[in-house]
Amino acid sequence: MSRIVRTLLLFLISLIFLFPMLWVLLSALKPQSELFTFPLTFLPAHPTLDNFATAFKSGDFFLYFGNSVFVTVVATLLTVVINVMAGYALSKYYFKGRDFIFYAMIGTLMIPLQAIMVPIFLLLKSMGLLNSLWGIIIPPAASPTGVFLARQYIQTIPNSFIEAARMDGGGEFLIFRRVIVPLATPIIATIAIFSFMWRWNDFLWPFIVITERKNMTLQLALANFVGQFQVNWASLLAMTVVTMIPMVIVFLALQRYFVTGLTAGGVKA
Amino acid sequence: MKAKARSHGTFQQTLAPLLFLAPNLLIFTLFIVVPALQGIRMSLFKWSLLDGKTFVGFRNFALAFRDPMFWQTLGNTFVYVLAVVPLVLVLSLALALPLSKEGGGAGFFRSVYYMPAMLSLIIVGIAWRWILGFDLGIVNYALKSVGLGPVPWLIKGSMAMTSLVVVTVWTRVGYFMMMFIGGLQAIPSTFYEAARIDGAGRFDIFRRITLPLLRPIVLVVAVLATIEAFKAYELIYVMTQGGPGSSTKLLVQYIYQSAFEEDRLGYASAMSVILLVIIGIFTVIQFAAQRGNYENE
Amino acid sequence: MARKGRLALAALVILALALPFAAAAQAKTTLTVLWFNDANESDVFQKTMADYLTAHPNVAIDMQVIPFKDYENKLKLMIASGSPPDIARLASAHVPLFTSSLEPLSGKPVFDQLAKGYFASSLALGRDSNGRLMAMPTEATANGMIVNKTYFQNAGIDVDKLSQTWTWDQWTDAMKKVLKANPKAKYGIAVDYTTHRFSTFLYEAGGRFIAADGKSMGFDTPETLDALNFFKKLHDEGLAPPSVWMGSENPQELFQAGLVASHVGGSWLINAYSQSVKDFEWAAVRMPKRKINSSVPGGKFIGTFKDSPHKEAALDLIAAFSDKAHNEAYCRDTYNLSARKDAKIAYASRSKDFAVFTADLDATPAYTADDWKSPILAKLNSYIREQIVDGLLGQQTMATTAANVQAKGNSYFAQ
Repeated sequence: MSRIVRTLLLFLISLIFLFPMLWVLLSALKPQSELFTFPLTFLPAHPTLDNFATAFKSGDFFLYFGNSVFVTVVATLLTVVINVMAGYALSKYYFKGRDFIFYAMIGTLMIPLQAIMVPIFLLLKSMGLLNSLWGIIIPPAASPTGVFLARQYIQTIPNSFIEAARMDGGGEFLIFRRVIVPLATPIIATIAIFSFMWRWNDFLWPFIVITERKNMTLQLALANFVGQFQVNWASLLAMTVVTMIPMVIVFLALQRYFVTGLTAGGVKA
Repeated sequence: MKAKARSHGTFQQTLAPLLFLAPNLLIFTLFIVVPALQGIRMSLFKWSLLDGKTFVGFRNFALAFRDPMFWQTLGNTFVYVLAVVPLVLVLSLALALPLSKEGGGAGFFRSVYYMPAMLSLIIVGIAWRWILGFDLGIVNYALKSVGLGPVPWLIKGSMAMTSLVVVTVWTRVGYFMMMFIGGLQAIPSTFYEAARIDGAGRFDIFRRITLPLLRPIVLVVAVLATIEAFKAYELIYVMTQGGPGSSTKLLVQYIYQSAFEEDRLGYASAMSVILLVIIGIFTVIQFAAQRGNYENE
Repeated sequence: MARKGRLALAALVILALALPFAAAAQAKTTLTVLWFNDANESDVFQKTMADYLTAHPNVAIDMQVIPFKDYENKLKLMIASGSPPDIARLASAHVPLFTSSLEPLSGKPVFDQLAKGYFASSLALGRDSNGRLMAMPTEATANGMIVNKTYFQNAGIDVDKLSQTWTWDQWTDAMKKVLKANPKAKYGIAVDYTTHRFSTFLYEAGGRFIAADGKSMGFDTPETLDALNFFKKLHDEGLAPPSVWMGSENPQELFQAGLVASHVGGSWLINAYSQSVKDFEWAAVRMPKRKINSSVPGGKFIGTFKDSPHKEAALDLIAAFSDKAHNEAYCRDTYNLSARKDAKIAYASRSKDFAVFTADLDATPAYTADDWKSPILAKLNSYIREQIVDGLLGQQTMATTAANVQAKGNSYFAQ
């Protein structure tokens, strides 16, 4: 009985989460002229896929999509590799200044990007990274959250595993690859999900870095539907729905590892 | 901590951590530390993007303390943070508790609750601004059709702040719920069994076993949620532009506005430094509590 | 060894093959064009210049469209880092901000000649404080009122006739009847949430932002207070919706949905409404009179920068775009007023509405342009808007609003 009540309650709560998204989805299926007619209707009277067609045709949708995929995939790979390595170094070795480095990294989490946008822009310019997809990929790759999660998780791997591998004469990098990486799969998946979502949705970095059309990402293109005085709702809604799809796929694919990844990391914090 | 592996000082083992750290540290130093230091330097200048700079010492800080808009946006920021953080903590834990065990549709519900966290804040903001519109929004329309008056969701200052808090919680609660689920699953079931044998009630178990064992993760969530809330910008800018008037304008938006619209980079940097110090104080308090927790274990 | 040699050979061959392409690529000048859109201007611009690009096969355009709200910041960042675009579209409020970076057009024979064909009022907004022309007008805009004609008809009012000479009092009486006759209409008037649109009320009441001598603020005056209080009255009496200035709703959508009977916006709305309004008849009408009749002049410009990499090519393209034929085609297809004196534009429809905006513009005092080309007003923009809202919300009196704006503005003058 209480089980049914509980499920019912959980279901009602999920409506709160689903409704706004459902409203966006249904509205994306309405023709532009139906979006602002009164009285409002929940279901589209004349459902159409025109908005999607327009959104695909306007601008270079597939170019932006390709750029977004490239940035997201490469950046996620880079982020995972360098942050897991750093997390390992900060959890399983002793050296001078180790804790200082760790806390300094955590400390920078607190800096709002808006506050250091100008210095970053000037720096990117002097390094020739402006207007290049690498300018979006590399600078934010050293993510404090990533290091934090990796460090906390790897701390829970028993030292005996590493000692044993050393006895067998494994080099340090080999130990990392053969012992740590397999054991850290869940946290790798977790960092990958976070990185994927953040990169895919990021507006500010691409906004700072990109000035050429050929390097634009989806989020920049999406923002263009919001004009000074008018919002191109039809295209905006359609495009929003399309940009959500890759995320849902990645989430569902990695979900299995996701929770385990946070498990150990969390409690040992 | 003391019981951790001690590297045996072979040359390879001394060098290895540095090599592992190097790529991250290089990017980190170049793209975060250097600009941050530059930002601090900027705070000592009267600095215009288009017309150059002059050194003014600490005058920008003095200006901030006398600027009513600085105090107002700082006040708004505190209201926002103090409302969002506890709500996010409590609600994400409340959702995590029934979903920590597999089965009973847990996977489905977890995915649904997590979904808003996957959307970009700009999209979330635009969608909610539309949904909560006073005259054209679906919520007021629905209320009207059941005979309730329109609610000024984004119109009255206090109401607009409330709406922002609610939407923020809506987007972030799934994310932190996932962290709590991770933490809950890590609690060995033997603890619960032992308690049940002792005849402890459900609430007792929660209070005496779950909560204490979960404390470290509560602190992680609190730290992350606090930092996030202090830095909130995009959602608010899209939903209310800081309005009505300046009643939902947070310090980060004021910093951004001063830097670009008013072209006062030095002043904006000075306010950023102040914000950084404030977030730092909050975080240190939370970390200190966490360390205290370690020593008790 | 042999393998390395072969690799080197292969590399050489590839390099040799690539060289001609590299050379060809270098000969082509790609102009980066930074743009923001009100509707479809970026597309029309490219369409208009297609013949130019055909005639100049070595020139290409890389059009980058930025959302308006981020546009100014992006352009500032690009200029500050020494990498401005070759061409940028500028709103009239942008020009004073960028005069120190723009390449002056005055003194260049082509542009001195071109300028003679343009209205002085439009050119004024493109000049710096020394009177040098910094950017070419692409279109002229005017603030004004658009009404839901169907609603007036339902109330038995001939709005075309009434609006020839109406005052705000007559507007208010008429509007009360309109609202009574049309239950669906909730409000009488929506005003865009910008300082620029509010300034229409300010000028009509005889007020102004900056004093006549241009050396201090002239905002804290009885005329300003009258405008502010009238604006508040519109809100207090429920004639204006709270959701635009105090919420975040879009007046254009409210008008489209038939919830408001009139909209104070600008001439660009003609384009938007001819596409989106299907359920009722609408028309541009003269602004009701308060102390005087006034619109607010505005416009869009294009210019190039001192540090632009392809400045010469950019100047050539701007000059070509500013001639009669290109300007007419662009204004016709974007449904805009032209800034050229000799332009004869056959709009696909709606030419009567354009005539109304032009008539309002003709009655507008010249000092309105002085206000809007001031860099100080550009910096005060958001602040003024927030101060007005604080007054509308009743958190302070409008007298305080006027005094605050005056003080903040004067602090910029003092620097």
